[in-house]
Amino acid sequence: MPEFSLTPDQESLRDLARKFARTEMAPHAAECDRTARFPEEIYRKAYDLGLMNLNVPTEFGGSGLGLFEQCLIVEELAYGCAGMTTSIIANCLALEPILLGGSPEQRRRFLTPFCASYQLASFALTEPSGGSDAGAIRTRARRDGDAYVLEGEKCFITNAPHASLYTVFATVDPERKHKGIAAFVVPRSAKGVSPGKDEEKMGHRASSTGTVRFEGVRVPAEDRLGEEGDGFSIAMRTLDQTRTPIGALATGIAQAALDLAAAYSLKRETFGKPISEHQAIQIKLANMAQAVHAARLLTWHAAWTIDHGGKGTLESSIAKCFASDAALDVADEAIQTFGGYGYMKEYPVEKLLRDAKLTQIYEGANEIQRTVIARELLRAYQ
Amino acid sequence: MEIVVCVKPVPEAETRLRVAADGARLDAEGVKFVLAGYDESAVEQALLLKEAVAGSTVHAIALGPAPRTEEVLRAAVALGCDKASWIEVPSGGSDDPLDAARILAAAIRGLPHDLVLCGKQAGDDESGLVAGALAEALGVPGFGYVVDLRWDAARSRFTFHRAVESGQESWECPGPIVIGLQQAWNDPRTAKLPAILKSRKATITKIAASGAAASVATPEKFELPAPRTGAKMIEYRTPQEAAEKLVRILREDAKVFP
Repeated sequence: MPEFSLTPDQESLRDLARKFARTEMAPHAAECDRTARFPEEIYRKAYDLGLMNLNVPTEFGGSGLGLFEQCLIVEELAYGCAGMTTSIIANCLALEPILLGGSPEQRRRFLTPFCASYQLASFALTEPSGGSDAGAIRTRARRDGDAYVLEGEKCFITNAPHASLYTVFATVDPERKHKGIAAFVVPRSAKGVSPGKDEEKMGHRASSTGTVRFEGVRVPAEDRLGEEGDGFSIAMRTLDQTRTPIGALATGIAQAALDLAAAYSLKRETFGKPISEHQAIQIKLANMAQAVHAARLLTWHAAWTIDHGGKGTLESSIAKCFASDAALDVADEAIQTFGGYGYMKEYPVEKLLRDAKLTQIYEGANEIQRTVIARELLRAYQ
Repeated sequence: MEIVVCVKPVPEAETRLRVAADGARLDAEGVKFVLAGYDESAVEQALLLKEAVAGSTVHAIALGPAPRTEEVLRAAVALGCDKASWIEVPSGGSDDPLDAARILAAAIRGLPHDLVLCGKQAGDDESGLVAGALAEALGVPGFGYVVDLRWDAARSRFTFHRAVESGQESWECPGPIVIGLQQAWNDPRTAKLPAILKSRKATITKIAASGAAASVATPEKFELPAPRTGAKMIEYRTPQEAAEKLVRILREDAKVFP
């Protein structure tokens, strides 16, 4: 039988993240959103408390959590500020290829020094010519003796300007499409690595997103993860792991929107009574509550499936896709509940809508998620 | 230095409170209990002293029912306490702070202690009596509302201050001593994730409750404050409009101004 109550251990992890989100993140969320400031002091505190390298085993200095516990934490953090959460969990995404594709020696060599202090890493897959079509990567890796030479540009890379380490996907032979892709670990300090400027974004403005150029970057062959053709599989298996926490992140945004809307509806009066007593608002709140609840349970189920050894491709795609769509809808309805005030930047709900939008796009656009869901689904009927 | 710090589970500030069926107590059903804020300060003070005095041990002790008492002891261990002891008493037992002090004293007598720290009062019933009564029961000096507690190693004495009306007292005293702490020098620390996970496996030693006297005091009635009414929200577009509307209300409705 499924078990839906959290263990005391899980509750204590959730409480830690909740406290951090509400006391350290939320008070700075509006200011960072307005000014697009990257609040490194908050990220440093998140690292100090063990909220950063959640998926890295403790033997390498990470927190060593399962996906379910990661999701509990990510939802709470996103409740405080989705943008900050994106930057806090970007290390999980960037380091996952090393966990999945690295040899024991590589895991020790890269992860142990990285996790020993506050550092950021970036997952560098997307290119200006396309993100979802990962097989069409143009960044080249040319073999030169005992090294590779990287040439190309990556874009929309979270934390890129602040990262000290990149996991980079490049092709050794574009003709070989998916089978020509290789994954590399590249330090920021390598000659020829140049992060570009921060992008101006609609939401997630406390997070930093930018390009990274690789110009004649020499990467020792021993820093390649897996074999030459393993890169695409490493990238896809990475996203299978990190997609579910995006469902949790979206759930956190949706819960924040619901809480704000419900509290406001009890205070705001029209026609002589609180708007919570008007059926029109009650129906909105009921629909929002259903969406939040379903998003959370789908996310929990996907995380549970993967933690119990399942591949979870279908479950995590459903969770990410549903929760991100729910987050946008719930944020939208929260604004509607606030009426004109909801549209004003002085109130916190419009930020939630802008933040929710990205969850439909990044870590696999929802169109790709639906393609994956349909493929997995139809396989069962063939 | 052997430091004992007393902690108490209290309802989380945001939890919704209900009156129990007997009308005399808080209904604990579904209430989330946490380490009391004042006790967090006491734990922080204990840890600061431990860091300042090499070879110190911090022993957290709590009195109360399962599971909430065990949970706050784990929270204290996650913050850095070395040991934890739980005196299990049933929920709905004596509410008399003097009883709590007697039971704690009976347990603490069996533990090495140079310093016994308490928060200045509990975060729920706010009695503020346990630290003083505990000092009396242990037969050692006791001070309440203490700030800036330090250990003067050269003179083997504790030094501390008490903020009093229009001034500050400065004291020194050798141990053992009981201190009810006003606040820590710093903001209480937050437990880190690895320490939280480790605390889940920590040994919580059970101590049998003893020393309670037949309490003559019993709670009679527990009431939640009545919700306030009559608040008026002023809607406005500009600060000027808000001020004008407020002045009109103060003049015409409340008649604060002529």
